[in-house]
Amino acid sequence: MKYLVIIGMALLTMSSCSKDFLKEDPKSSITPSNFYQSASDLDAAVRGIIVLNNLAWNQTGGLACTFGSDDITTWRGGNKFDISDFDTYQPNSSNAKMIIWWDYFYQVIKSSNQLILKYQDATQATETERNNAAGAAYFFRAMDYFFLTRTWGSVPMPLGVTTDTTSLSTPDEIYTQIVSDLKNAESMLPDAWTGESVVSGYQTLPTTGSAKALLANVYLTMAGWPLKQTDKYALAAEKAGEVIDNASKYGYGLLDSCSYLWDGLHHVNKEIVFGAFYNYVFSWANQNQMGPMNTAAGEEGGWDELFGEISFYNKFPAGPRKDATYQTVYYQNNDHSKAVDYTKLLKAHPYFWKYRETGLLVDPLTHAMSNWESSATMYIIRYPEVLLTYAEAKAMSSGVDQSAYDAINQVRKRAGLEDLQTGLSQTAFRDSVIAERGWEFAGPEPAARWFDLIRTETVAQANKDRSSAEETIVGQPNDETHSFYWAPLPAIM
Amino acid sequence: MKPLLVLLFCFNVLLAAAQQHITGTVTGSNTPLQGVSVHQKDGKASTLTDAEGKYSIDVPSGATLAFSYVGYQDKEVVVGTQTTIDVQLESTASDLSEVVVVGYGTQKKKDLTGAIATVSSKAFQDQPVLNASTALQGRATGVAVNSTSGSPGSTPKIRIRGANSINTTNDPLYVVDGIALASNDLNSINPDDIATMDILKDASATAIYGSRGANGVVIITTKKGAKGAAKITYDGFLSMNKPIKKYDLMDVKTFGNIANLISPGLFNTDTLTTSTDMQSLIFDDAVIQNHNLSITGGSENIHYYISGQYQDQPGVIINNDMKTYGLRANIGGNLTKKLSFNLNMGIKRVNRHNPDAALSYNAFLWPLTEPIYTDADQTQYNRKGSRIITVASQEYMTLKEANVDNFANQAVITGNATYKFTDWLSFTTNIGLDALTSKTATLKNDWISQGNPSSSQSYSENYAIQNSNVLTFHKAYGLHDLTATAVMESSSSKGSGFTATGAGLSSMVDGYNNLALNSTQSITSTYSNWSQLSYVGRVIYNYDNRYMVTGTFRRDGSSKFQNNKWGSFPSIGLGWNVLNESFAKNWKAFSHLKLRGGWGITGNDRISPYTTLGLLSQDQYAYGSSAAYIAYYVGNPATPNLKWETTKQADAGLDVGFFNDRLSITADYYNKNTTDLLLATTIANYNGGGSLYQNVGKVNNKGFELGINATPVTTDNFNWSTYLNLSYNKNMVVDLGEDSLLLLGSTGGILGAQVQALQVGKPMGSFYLTKWAGIYQQADAALGYSAGDNRFVDANGNNVSGGLDDRMVMGSATPKYQLGFGNDITYKDFTLNIYIQGSYGNDIYNENYAIISSSTSASSYPTLKTAANYWTSTNTGAEFPTVGSKTNNNGLYSSHFLQDGSYTRLKNLGLTYRLPKIKNISAASLTLSAQNLFTITKYKGLDPEVAAGSGGDTQAGIDLNTYPSAKTYTLRLNITF
Repeated sequence: MKYLVIIGMALLTMSSCSKDFLKEDPKSSITPSNFYQSASDLDAAVRGIIVLNNLAWNQTGGLACTFGSDDITTWRGGNKFDISDFDTYQPNSSNAKMIIWWDYFYQVIKSSNQLILKYQDATQATETERNNAAGAAYFFRAMDYFFLTRTWGSVPMPLGVTTDTTSLSTPDEIYTQIVSDLKNAESMLPDAWTGESVVSGYQTLPTTGSAKALLANVYLTMAGWPLKQTDKYALAAEKAGEVIDNASKYGYGLLDSCSYLWDGLHHVNKEIVFGAFYNYVFSWANQNQMGPMNTAAGEEGGWDELFGEISFYNKFPAGPRKDATYQTVYYQNNDHSKAVDYTKLLKAHPYFWKYRETGLLVDPLTHAMSNWESSATMYIIRYPEVLLTYAEAKAMSSGVDQSAYDAINQVRKRAGLEDLQTGLSQTAFRDSVIAERGWEFAGPEPAARWFDLIRTETVAQANKDRSSAEETIVGQPNDETHSFYWAPLPAIM
Repeated sequence: MKPLLVLLFCFNVLLAAAQQHITGTVTGSNTPLQGVSVHQKDGKASTLTDAEGKYSIDVPSGATLAFSYVGYQDKEVVVGTQTTIDVQLESTASDLSEVVVVGYGTQKKKDLTGAIATVSSKAFQDQPVLNASTALQGRATGVAVNSTSGSPGSTPKIRIRGANSINTTNDPLYVVDGIALASNDLNSINPDDIATMDILKDASATAIYGSRGANGVVIITTKKGAKGAAKITYDGFLSMNKPIKKYDLMDVKTFGNIANLISPGLFNTDTLTTSTDMQSLIFDDAVIQNHNLSITGGSENIHYYISGQYQDQPGVIINNDMKTYGLRANIGGNLTKKLSFNLNMGIKRVNRHNPDAALSYNAFLWPLTEPIYTDADQTQYNRKGSRIITVASQEYMTLKEANVDNFANQAVITGNATYKFTDWLSFTTNIGLDALTSKTATLKNDWISQGNPSSSQSYSENYAIQNSNVLTFHKAYGLHDLTATAVMESSSSKGSGFTATGAGLSSMVDGYNNLALNSTQSITSTYSNWSQLSYVGRVIYNYDNRYMVTGTFRRDGSSKFQNNKWGSFPSIGLGWNVLNESFAKNWKAFSHLKLRGGWGITGNDRISPYTTLGLLSQDQYAYGSSAAYIAYYVGNPATPNLKWETTKQADAGLDVGFFNDRLSITADYYNKNTTDLLLATTIANYNGGGSLYQNVGKVNNKGFELGINATPVTTDNFNWSTYLNLSYNKNMVVDLGEDSLLLLGSTGGILGAQVQALQVGKPMGSFYLTKWAGIYQQADAALGYSAGDNRFVDANGNNVSGGLDDRMVMGSATPKYQLGFGNDITYKDFTLNIYIQGSYGNDIYNENYAIISSSTSASSYPTLKTAANYWTSTNTGAEFPTVGSKTNNNGLYSSHFLQDGSYTRLKNLGLTYRLPKIKNISAASLTLSAQNLFTITKYKGLDPEVAAGSGGDTQAGIDLNTYPSAKTYTLRLNITF
């Protein structure tokens, strides 16, 4: 029986250590309970928010929702139906492109919510470090709700990390939250960050300047449809003015040439008030698929994802900005001797140079492209937008003055245009600014013309000139009833 | 291995008169049997056969000779005038005296109460089986084995009595010589080393494995040596691979004409003459080699089985193969009268070249107008087709230039010692190691990664250690027979690894060996560990060989759960040997008759370690510059209250044998309910998406199994033995918690939305498609359709048909019926093996076919020959809509491409010739055989088996980028010295 005793003792020994034996210790991963403690945790959390935001912008994706404007279109075939559905006013709730915005914006919001809830736990970091990190979280949350409500109108607005069902919040409620978040961001973000986020002397993280610029655009939008709170024009002018007045402090200015924006040699530059930055040698969140192949013509090895509308192209004022915006010569089958203009292409539309990395990834002799992914920066807020926001808001709040002219003329000058005609009425000046924004941000830029058209209730009006060469529109947008202004809520929210 | 008995003594009894000298050979399973007892019935003469199975004996004429041998049925022959009597003994493999491994012990088959199937090496000995899972296919009822890829070394999908779990794996538990595999898969065991595979199916059998038993258990016992002189066996084969089928594509002119209808003027069809046949370049007639050499023998106190294996298995697709070097040493013996031991060591080195090779639809979609190369020297691949048609890459180039090598070291080692305290109490301790180290090295040259060549390496180590301590009590008192077993077991499984990835490789000269040549580099590493602690008890009680009761209870603790670490898993099994009742004494036709019934609870904890902790997700961010930094974002929520998935199964079975087991039948009915599923419920995207594991949902599997073994004909020279296995399983999702429909499945290939879904009341693996209703013969202006467009059923009645919102649940990817039908027909020295396997009642969404037949996708121009049969006003009966129909894109999501996946396949047709004995060679045979020779199916893709097997259980049966299996011709030699 002594053996039984030994066995019994062995059993007892094993069961007594079972508590530790069955404990989980994920040594190579981070649990929420041991995170948000140090300054480096906060940095990693901000980067976490950024990679999610980057994923919303590194393909055409949600930009499909902006194709109802008169500057951009696509063909109706292949895998372009979901984009074309917005262009032709027939989107449905299972549109696979729009959910790229929906899904990633809300992922950004979830991680931002968590950081806002937790940043004060980071007792190993300084108060400034904590505030800076939280400021970034407020900025991203505000920015992504701003895109969400402009795209879908009423949307759910979770402000915590939850799995509960949430009802829709109205645009009014959402803008109130956005303004509150941006005020927090403005006060908590630094004027300039230091460390690895500063690339070649340029800021890549949101700063006070970014928050003010975004808030200016939010106020400008609140002054238009759907809220129409015209008192916000003054606030928009004030915020934009603060950015312009302190442009040298924040390091903002216009590049000398519009073509620098798309040549692949200026991934960071002074025109970027806020952007999504990529380097394609790293993970998918660091790769940008917007160019070079995406927006190029099939004849040159491109994907024919999108191109310019013909009427808009014809109206676009000639000059260096137009040349930097649109491609004029196409080499069929990458053969230099087979140069044609856009009318000879299969799709017979002018293609954009934007995101094409023209000086880096496109062979100038053949237009052959060496990669489908790139490191092109997505300019979410460019300095010209701040100038144009100021010009419009100033004119609409306190009348057209010289400072408003100065702001728009800076943009026109760089575009190779003459100064805007003086003595314009408030409305005529406003319309000139809206048009200017259209030229400046034509095509697939986040500062999409679509958002200008809906806030000024001119979608149907802008479509009057739609060329017969475009796909026939199916739904009828209406500037009175605002039909098709908002995208349908996703079937799977 | 048959035990080799030493010839002890042999003597003649001389009788006065009419003695007749008889000589002969005794064989069994077509091999000579040594040590068979040969004696005169009711007489004194007796002898044993020698090593060559020969005997000689003198008996009076008219006497009856009786032959008996362990493991074989007795046989009697009346001596007439003949002087040579050769006898073939029938194996009792179907006999109930066979011992079955039941987990932590063995039991005689006649005493079993659970549903357990046994596949012994005999069942596949003459067939060229490259891995253990192939050996199982079709050979046991209730076990569905589906190849998931024809790629060498791919792991097939094995399901025992259907799939229970929606989110976790439904793979059975594999136990090799006592250790449950956690690092390696079933294929790490050389099939030549396998003695038996016992498949535990019902809960009364599997509950002994508790939380890991819900998917069934396959217990593998490797070969052991036996007392006797060393016996050397060589077993090897050569196989020639051929593709089963190729897609029949258009000729180049037809292709050009159709493309021109979509893009006018794209091709000048007058100049098109040569069609590019990419398929014939991609498929390769490669030769497979498999060599096994084993030595076995033993003395009174020690026995050994040692084997070596070499396998070279190229794929049927170019540029991928697998080389295996294996060694096994099984040594055992008695150290003292009371202490015995066994040491089973199997190690393997497996080198795989391009292990992830797949056959992309790009191979069939490549524009037939475009040559493979742009230059005459064939050094520059033509990428231009990718521009004409938006295919991702040139498939021949992708396959040819791929350079990924995987080097794996596998070890499954177990050692056990048994101490017999008395004849009724023994203690066994078993320690096992299951280890896998694996290195993968990748070189992407400029053809693979244009503009950004790169190299990378990754290394991982997984090892599981298990210790089981088993106390066994067995005692018989009169009519009572009691066996009690107590087990305590601990196991842990650790995994760690790192990956070093580069980009911007400056030189290809060093291949993947110099990662420093990459201009940017990044490193990641992983670690995981899970452990389990278990206490098990089992009582088997047998009364008078008539009534049997088995009761088991297991308590498992798992590290994967937080607040619910422990689970209890009881079971009970009942058996009644009807034939042993007095009232059945005169049931002469029956040789056995048993009724079985069982019920039990098993569990499933197969979520990944740390799932319940709410880990942060990890990525990297470089601020657009050249150095990347770690990024963390919020992952899935922590779920501390998560617990085991629970499966309750009831089983009723019948074992019946007739005419001395010339015909035996095993039938089982089962009903399995899995509740508290470990279901990854979807979190609303506005809450950041992701999934929340919850114990919700219910899945039911009901089924019927029928196994028939028969020997319809047996004479001295001619023997026909046959078996038929039929399994039916009906799977149904009963409850999904708050959801009634869950969309599933990848949106791979060219699909932008899912085509599979789970719906309450439907089986797992259902498809979610719009219903295709043919082609509009006349325009429907109201709905906006032209003549020649696809017609879809407007399922939601909103007068817009064919949109994704008209999708509905239909069909199922899971086969309902499985068939295995084997025949061995022996005439003298020749044996013909015919082995048919079938699978019925499943559908396959043939995405490859959809892509290459529709002028819709990003891929634009169809290549499939039958797609030339498109609708025109004069060809109204066409299968395909008018070229370039705007409905084609939605057509992809329709039942138009859902095809019947049933098939019947001639898995093996082989002829074996047993060579006459030559000096020193005790047995030799030569087999010429063919595998997958033909397939009867309506399926339109390349291989219905692989297409059905791809994916898991909920997202299965999508034929996209699948690697078809091969047709092989094999020459095999088996020789024993």
